[in-house]
Amino acid sequence: MTLVNLTVNGQERECDVPDGTLLVHLLRDHLGMTGTHVGCDTSQCGACTVILNGEAVKSCTILAASVGNAELQTVEGLAEGDSLHDVQTAFRTHHGLQCGFCTPGMIMAAVNMIDRHKGQLDETLVRHDLEGNLCRCTGYHNIVKAILSAAETYRARHQAAMAQG
Amino acid sequence: MNKNALPRRAVPAPTASREVSYRHGEPSPELKLVTDALFRHIGKPVPRKEDERLITGKGRFTDDFNLPGQVYAAMVRSPHPHAVIGRTDASAALALPGVLAVLTPEDMLADDLQPIPHNPVPSTNYDVKLRASDGSFPFVGPHYPLPLKKVRHVGEVVALVVAETPALAEEASELVDVEYDVLPHVTATAEAFQEGAPAVWDEVPDNVLVDSRFGDEEGTDAAFRRAAHVVKRRFHIDRVTAVTIEPRAALGHFDAETGRYTLYAGSGGAVRQKGEISKVLGVDRERLRVLSFDVGGNFGARNRVYVEFPLILWASRRVGRPVKFTATRSESFLTEYQGRDLITTVELAFDEAGYILAMRADNISNVGARCVSLSPLSKGSGLISGSYHIPCATLRARAIFTNTMCTQAYRSSGRPEVTFAIERMMDLAAEELGMDRVELRRRNLVPPDAMPYTNPVGQHYDSGEYEKNMDRAIELSDWDGFEARKAEARARGKLLGRGFANYVESSIGTPRERAEITVTEDGRVEVIIGTQPSGQGHETSFAQVVADMLGVPVERVQIILGDTDIVKEGGGSHSGRSMRHAGTVMAIASAELLADAKSRFADLHGINSSDIDFHDGVFSAAGVSTDIFALAQATAADKGALHAAHTNEMHTPVFPNGTAICEIEVCMHTGAPVITRYVTVDDVGRCINPLIVHGQTHGGIAQGVGQAMWELCAIDEETGQPSAGSFMDYGMPRSDNMPSFTCEIAEVHSPTNPLGIKAGGEGGTTPALAVIVSAIVDALSEFGVRDISMPVTPQRIWQAMRSAQRNQDNLDRSNR
Repeated sequence: MTLVNLTVNGQERECDVPDGTLLVHLLRDHLGMTGTHVGCDTSQCGACTVILNGEAVKSCTILAASVGNAELQTVEGLAEGDSLHDVQTAFRTHHGLQCGFCTPGMIMAAVNMIDRHKGQLDETLVRHDLEGNLCRCTGYHNIVKAILSAAETYRARHQAAMAQG
Repeated sequence: MNKNALPRRAVPAPTASREVSYRHGEPSPELKLVTDALFRHIGKPVPRKEDERLITGKGRFTDDFNLPGQVYAAMVRSPHPHAVIGRTDASAALALPGVLAVLTPEDMLADDLQPIPHNPVPSTNYDVKLRASDGSFPFVGPHYPLPLKKVRHVGEVVALVVAETPALAEEASELVDVEYDVLPHVTATAEAFQEGAPAVWDEVPDNVLVDSRFGDEEGTDAAFRRAAHVVKRRFHIDRVTAVTIEPRAALGHFDAETGRYTLYAGSGGAVRQKGEISKVLGVDRERLRVLSFDVGGNFGARNRVYVEFPLILWASRRVGRPVKFTATRSESFLTEYQGRDLITTVELAFDEAGYILAMRADNISNVGARCVSLSPLSKGSGLISGSYHIPCATLRARAIFTNTMCTQAYRSSGRPEVTFAIERMMDLAAEELGMDRVELRRRNLVPPDAMPYTNPVGQHYDSGEYEKNMDRAIELSDWDGFEARKAEARARGKLLGRGFANYVESSIGTPRERAEITVTEDGRVEVIIGTQPSGQGHETSFAQVVADMLGVPVERVQIILGDTDIVKEGGGSHSGRSMRHAGTVMAIASAELLADAKSRFADLHGINSSDIDFHDGVFSAAGVSTDIFALAQATAADKGALHAAHTNEMHTPVFPNGTAICEIEVCMHTGAPVITRYVTVDDVGRCINPLIVHGQTHGGIAQGVGQAMWELCAIDEETGQPSAGSFMDYGMPRSDNMPSFTCEIAEVHSPTNPLGIKAGGEGGTTPALAVIVSAIVDALSEFGVRDISMPVTPQRIWQAMRSAQRNQDNLDRSNR
């Protein structure tokens, strides 16, 4: 067993898990946070995407024991109370999800993508950056639309913040 | 393009005797009121009610459920495609601490488990009748949860292990030693019905379980004799798999105190799962409760029962603890019900002017090791003539067993296959006849004034304006700008090709559906319905329908699905049936509820019910008014809850239709294709929520494009081993290989149901295979390429270019 300390969505957590436990199973089985999903076992589908120390990663291929003291953000931690994150709102407005299984991974990848590029995204870049997240329902059309819209909101907020200075 | 190059051929007038169930009798005054009052919410892109939980990580997928004390199952699977099962030695597995049980076929027989009653032969009045060659009902191969004597495909479960942790169950499953006596196998569709092929079942020595003939043989032969041109081709629409991003999972619990089983398992319809699994377990239906909440994709693969579901319920009874099973992605690739796998040979007879005189088709469907569903063969058989008026046709429809995983209806069951065949034939015939491919299609389309139209194999197309779809798609694609785009691409070293395909498909599905609608005293409308969404947004679109019917806000309507203790009946979701069946039964139940409400209002105020006005959820007459919620509350004590329940049966199929056009750039040096334009026009009948319908179409397109360009359940014929076992070796549509789409909805209301609904979504898939291959062939036409098989990978394209060029060089050399 390994004792893992980490911060999940701003809360400090301590878990005693078997040595071979993967990060996604620490979340799902030990912390009961089932928003992060498992869709494959080869790091291909991206349903398990979370943000680890500011980077979007696939939590199905990371040993929980290797992320001691890390800062982790999952889909459960995005909304603030009843107020949804802009990316969540955009996915709903643009019908960027159907069955919803890939959605948590998609949203986490999108949040990180927009942050990394400071909202400066176009369709080609979104499609390139999202290549590691599979969706079987939407044909990606509305997901791409949602991310571009959320990026626009990000830019608008950023400009407003700059203007207020 | 000259639309009037030739006079149109006369097409027989609509068949007057044709049965359209909805047309019988006048609608009740309430139903008329309901349809007249439409549509405040219907037709609007209302954002989905289900999204809130799914975007915040609060979805309820099967693997998210856990029960106290649960243990885990892992399956021992056959490594051989065909073998006699010998001795099973579980001692090493059982010796591991924490392993609770290893269950084998002998244990299963001792507990008297029964085969899954798949009922694979489509049986509505409108399905083509598929039979064995001697006319008898087909032998389908019993599907016991564990096989009795032989394994018949790689991945078949031969035993299951139950242990305290998933890792332990997995480890123990590898220690179970099963002896096999390996038998010769056959996996290829083209081989299985040949003389001398190994028999998958002794009961069907030639592997042909269905061999039926349809159509007018004499008339067809005569038409072929007088034909000016005959075009003949054989196509193999190969095997793919649904790849729901959620691998299947199940959590089963047997409660010894009540003697009741509970199963958490996402599927295409909990009611069907309950009915069939209770038969496997040999218990009364009511002793099994099935819960199916959020389902991470279905596309047909989850409509039928998987062996793991009854197995874990049985295991739970054996070990006295809840048992959980979650498939790995490799298990999903090996053993999820797969799709397509049809060989079709098509012959078309044309006259001098390019009108089709007759058609012959020979369709062979590979059902795998057992027959789970004949839907793909049946659906496709009825639509071999596509969107075209073909006066007579013959069809031979065969289904064959092979040593492969079973096939099932998959995203537009059976239709993409036959659409591929007829649309490829139209391209090839245009080439051979020296005609423009659009004009050839235009000349042969079924015209609107021939609707309802009976096709040569007896299907009744309900309605549609096929030529209008085609013209609109041509316009949306900027057809006239193509040559300029092609020249521009050429300057960049790319070959631009354009694909074209029309389609018509059928939506039939289980004919019964039930709706129970209750106006609650706390101001909600509860609707219990037996369909099962897996992303189609029923909680929203169904709420839109009921909200419109009862004149209440959408937010107040709550759709209840997926728990068989509440939902007693229901056909599930498949074959584009949900909105049509649920919409109709909800409309009827709403009308009944309004009739009851009206009489309650009359009694409450002592007035004549014929004077009552109903508007926006409010009843009013003679200066008094009450809204429907207040009325429910005021009358609950005397008359009980304001409630209506109705079960409706509707057999008449509908025929969604449309056109797809795409453009693909092929790199001249590497053969790599890139889709640069994709346009569709889809007649879905009445569209309830365009946001949802467009989304369904987009996903449908991607699945069709996926099969055309990357996807393949490849099997090594010599060893019988599947070689696509993960996302590393099964090509998928991804964000960077798919384009954005231009989709338009056409609404020609169907006369077969009160709301005029056809179906949406599968229409995205149906023409996609044909339109992609059409574009690739067009791009490569200058190399002399006339056809190419799917998936059209860069390697295949490169080889086609090179071998066509080599043939041309050889020809040039010999002519010199």
